[in-house]
Amino acid sequence: MRRTQFLLSGLALGLALLLSAPRARAQDAAAFVRQTGDALVQVVNSTAPRPTKREELERVLDRTVDVEGIARFALGRFWRAANPQQQQEYVHLFHEVLLNSITSKLGEYRGVQFTVGRTVPRQGGATVQTVILRPNNPPTNVQWVVADTGGSAKIEDVIAEGTSLRVTQQSDYISYLQHNGNSVQALINALRRQLAQASG
Amino acid sequence: MPAIPSRVPLFATAMLGCLFAGGLGGCATPPPGGSAEAVQEYRQTNDPLEPTNRFFYKVNTGIDAAVFKPAAEGYRFAVPRPVRNGVHNALANLSSPVTLANDIMQPSPRRSGDTLMRFLINSTVGIVGFFDVAKGLGYPPHDTDFGITMALWGVPSGPFLFLPVLGPSDPRDFAGFGADIAMDPFTWVGSGTTVTALNVGRYAVSAVDARERVLGEVDQIKKTALDPYATFRSLYRQHRQSEIDETRNDKRATVPAWFPQPPAPAAPAGAANPPPTAPGQTPK
Repeated sequence: MRRTQFLLSGLALGLALLLSAPRARAQDAAAFVRQTGDALVQVVNSTAPRPTKREELERVLDRTVDVEGIARFALGRFWRAANPQQQQEYVHLFHEVLLNSITSKLGEYRGVQFTVGRTVPRQGGATVQTVILRPNNPPTNVQWVVADTGGSAKIEDVIAEGTSLRVTQQSDYISYLQHNGNSVQALINALRRQLAQASG
Repeated sequence: MPAIPSRVPLFATAMLGCLFAGGLGGCATPPPGGSAEAVQEYRQTNDPLEPTNRFFYKVNTGIDAAVFKPAAEGYRFAVPRPVRNGVHNALANLSSPVTLANDIMQPSPRRSGDTLMRFLINSTVGIVGFFDVAKGLGYPPHDTDFGITMALWGVPSGPFLFLPVLGPSDPRDFAGFGADIAMDPFTWVGSGTTVTALNVGRYAVSAVDARERVLGEVDQIKKTALDPYATFRSLYRQHRQSEIDETRNDKRATVPAWFPQPPAPAAPAGAANPPPTAPGQTPK
């Protein structure tokens, strides 16, 4: 098994983007990722207390990552089966779970460095390749799928060593739904339980 | 290779598996009266033996909790990181003959060269492979096995299998695992209790080393995934596909350094490894 932690670490690097994110054309996408990464490394290495760091991360997560898009993708065909209230609640819970996962990994990334590699343009944005170097760990290849969503750049997916965050989450949730009567409510309850356990 | 999902081997394998596991009701069936979407999902997941696989997943979790995880944790506690890295390098070096054979069969000429040089340099200067000197000299490490070799030949992966001890796999990769053991010269060299003990010892250390390297990740998945089995299945497939793609896309020149080099190939748009799509589709 490979390093799924890099799914989240890679996502974590996407946070901390600054206010005026430029349109994500190929050449800008690389700059976007570099800015993001630099700012994130700052957050990781800062000495602020954990709740403060978490707040900072949350602000940036909302600005730079298309969390709703990822959440929608993760639910697959069941998104349409959910009513608007369930959809809203699900996206909120997904956001919290994601934030928790990233925050819990912060400690492991002290002293992290990264280099930005090639940018491959694609429809609606670009994919930027980076190599992430944690001290005492072998380098990891992480690809950032950056998309233009209505004028600002957003991270749509993180692919760490070939494993996509979106696809993996989708496999997890779809399988859970299939084994729990295709009920989105059951999934929502399970996410609530998971959050309660994490904070309890 | 064409990405035509080969139904016949899949069907045959699934039928065989069903016959075998029939008594245990080990075969999943497509959702009865299900929508076209549900049936398509079932096909994409490509896990007709899911009940049996989940059973072995539970068995594996038990074995892991009882044997492998404590061993790995103890290993991490007792042995400092540089020594663990050295052990990993030495084990990789011991597998060089198998890696080289696979590189040649795939065929991956540049990677074959890397493996050969790594073996020669690391075994001597690197003291039986403990120190990875060759990496600094321009011969990066890589892992390969007969499963990847077969994938590059066009053999479809077949349905998902979860095996005790070995974990997530499929018929192609499991056959590859067996073939790698058969190809390994250390399997055949010598006889007697000492040699057997050394071989068993080597596999044991390999298992603990491999388990130790993923301690954190596996724990994270078990804690945060709603369906860890499905998550492992997805990650295994995506990672496997990315290894195969990486091998196929390694287009470094194979012209000797003293010869006039060809111009570097222009990277076509989308030349990066294609992003993973629905796992379970029979890979190319």
